[in-house]
Amino acid sequence: MPSEGGLLDRFVDWLPTTLFFKRAASWILVPYWAHKTPVKPLPGGPHPSFEHGDNVQCMMNLIMPLKVKSPIGRAEAALAIAQNKDAIYAGLNNVGTVHFARFVIVGDNICMFSVYDGDFTNYIRDFIATIGSVFNAVVALVEDGEDVTPCEKNVDAFIQWIHERDLYQVPDTATDFLRDQEALNGDTAMSGNHDDLTLLPRKLVLQLRANPNVSLGNGYRAYPGFSAAQVRERLELGW
Amino acid sequence: MSAMVKLADLQGNILRGYTKKPHVRYLILEVANPAAARRWLAASTSGRSDGVPQITSGDWGASKPDTCFNIGLTYEGLRTLGTPSASLEMFPNEFIEGMTARALKLGDVGPSAPETWPAPFNEPKRIHLIATIYAEQPEQLNDVQKRALADTSAVTLVGTREGYSFPDDRVHFGYRDNIMQPRFEGVHDADRYADGQPKAPLGTVLLGYRTNLEGLRWRVPEPEELGHNGTFNAFRVLKQDVAGFEAYLDQAADELLKQPQAVGELLPPGAEAKIGKVFSIEGVTPRSALREVVAANLCGRWRDGTPLALSADVPDPELVKAANFDYVGESRCPFGAHIRRSNPRGGKIVQRVANNSRRLVRRGVPYGPAYDRTQPRQLEPERGLLGNFIGANLGAQFEAMSCDWLNLGLQDPRLTGSNDALTGANGTDSSWFDLPLKSGSTIRLRGLPRFVSTQGGAYAFLPSLRAIRYLGSLTT
Repeated sequence: MPSEGGLLDRFVDWLPTTLFFKRAASWILVPYWAHKTPVKPLPGGPHPSFEHGDNVQCMMNLIMPLKVKSPIGRAEAALAIAQNKDAIYAGLNNVGTVHFARFVIVGDNICMFSVYDGDFTNYIRDFIATIGSVFNAVVALVEDGEDVTPCEKNVDAFIQWIHERDLYQVPDTATDFLRDQEALNGDTAMSGNHDDLTLLPRKLVLQLRANPNVSLGNGYRAYPGFSAAQVRERLELGW
Repeated sequence: MSAMVKLADLQGNILRGYTKKPHVRYLILEVANPAAARRWLAASTSGRSDGVPQITSGDWGASKPDTCFNIGLTYEGLRTLGTPSASLEMFPNEFIEGMTARALKLGDVGPSAPETWPAPFNEPKRIHLIATIYAEQPEQLNDVQKRALADTSAVTLVGTREGYSFPDDRVHFGYRDNIMQPRFEGVHDADRYADGQPKAPLGTVLLGYRTNLEGLRWRVPEPEELGHNGTFNAFRVLKQDVAGFEAYLDQAADELLKQPQAVGELLPPGAEAKIGKVFSIEGVTPRSALREVVAANLCGRWRDGTPLALSADVPDPELVKAANFDYVGESRCPFGAHIRRSNPRGGKIVQRVANNSRRLVRRGVPYGPAYDRTQPRQLEPERGLLGNFIGANLGAQFEAMSCDWLNLGLQDPRLTGSNDALTGANGTDSSWFDLPLKSGSTIRLRGLPRFVSTQGGAYAFLPSLRAIRYLGSLTT
């Protein structure tokens, strides 16, 4: 808390802002906390909701580490997407609930970012039914991908595998984040005194240690949510 | 019979409706002692005529059984019985998590939320086994129940639910139900029901077969005798507010009467008399006819069963069981009608790949006394439907239909953002339903209250006879 106290108080308040303190906290304090209170990674994808507006234009942020971590591996991933471009468009057309999908290579990860309508499992299952071969071609290049391919014969396991690689969407408010954490642990009590929201909450630090890649928020829309088919219909593009 | 599936290995309630046995009782059971419960399961397929009732299979041979008896096992039930963990892990997530964990997908919110469910559904982990008795006479239910519960060391009764099929397959809102079920490839049906829909692959309703989604197969829990020929059931206790439904029909009819042009389109010359002839509680008046028009549009069938897709202006006594229609072209069945939302058949939908892929076998029976519109009571007793929604993959069928089609209306941009008006989580301030007019325009009905609320349920695995023997023989 802000203090108007003496020299010692001001010193203590100043200490966490120093680079030395931040490094020491990262190397010593955070591992110690993590050891004392293990934190499970929070699940990825949109927060479950019954509200109609929350169930259109949902985000998927998939980060998949490539098996071959080199320019060769990255080039293989780029080719896998390029060679399947037509199938991807055909899939978008037949599934009908996707606004857009992007593939991005970041470091040695192939990432798929998409905006879709409705239930996540239905979205992935419909894609498996439409262009499962594309998923198989891409996932073959990804660590542990062989566990769930061919996706057509491992439907539920494949959907779960994708879900596990979909980034956790950190709520915009720290209190919502803490509720997520408590729900994961089946903890119905209110957060304890480690969660002063004016500081970096310990649970947030530990979650970001367990779950280093996250999405901040669930996307900021410039207009209310519409389904892809509603947009197509209003623009008279056919749906 | 079938060349592809051995009916004697299937539980009979999967492909048969037991229509001659109108009395149905559900025994909600908890395993008391796993070893004794396994012996109970083994006894249920032993072929003995005394002791534990025998599971009714899909092959009745020469003689019809006097009563039928079938079981479903929850994940907790399978686990408690000692099913190996490697097998348990092969069951789908939604089954492992159970129905209460899937509340948001199913629209079980507000008055339907699992936290509000009465016993025994308030303790889902104690629900291990759901046994169902089907009988011609109510006293037979007691006899079978007595035999099922005789060994108190095996199973404990934690609750019952009981229903009775009304004449003409009517259900509480007054509609004729049970008109059709999917027809399956490789299963004999003597072409009794020409329904204008392709035969569903067996994998729609049984584990171990080709599904409707090309190239996709659902994982069959191993060992093979456990999973093969099994399927899943979403058992639902669905409370129906019939007085509220009838009151809404009054309200909607009064609103429509204020719009003479709409009345003219909804009631072409002669329609009022024809509608009044079938539904004559209030005599032949425009208001009573409009009530039926609204009821018909919300469902997609007139209350006598006539599909709007075949006869949109008036009910037709020749079509009360008609099933041979589709929604292609300019169908007069509303996009949002319950039967169209839950099964869009070959009609155009956003998720083109999903046409015909989310079909379910439905087995429902009303519970509670029939509503008497001429003698409404101050406090109506609870009534509703005990529903079974059976499919080989609850996630791909029951949940996909509930979540994206019934609750979100994703299949048609003209529906998106609305829920199923008949069965969904209506809110009087937000729900709407577009009533189509002959001219092609629509009238938006608003202020629909919630007519159906969930009062319990569970996801159950319906094991094959071979699987029941396997479970009965576990020694863990």
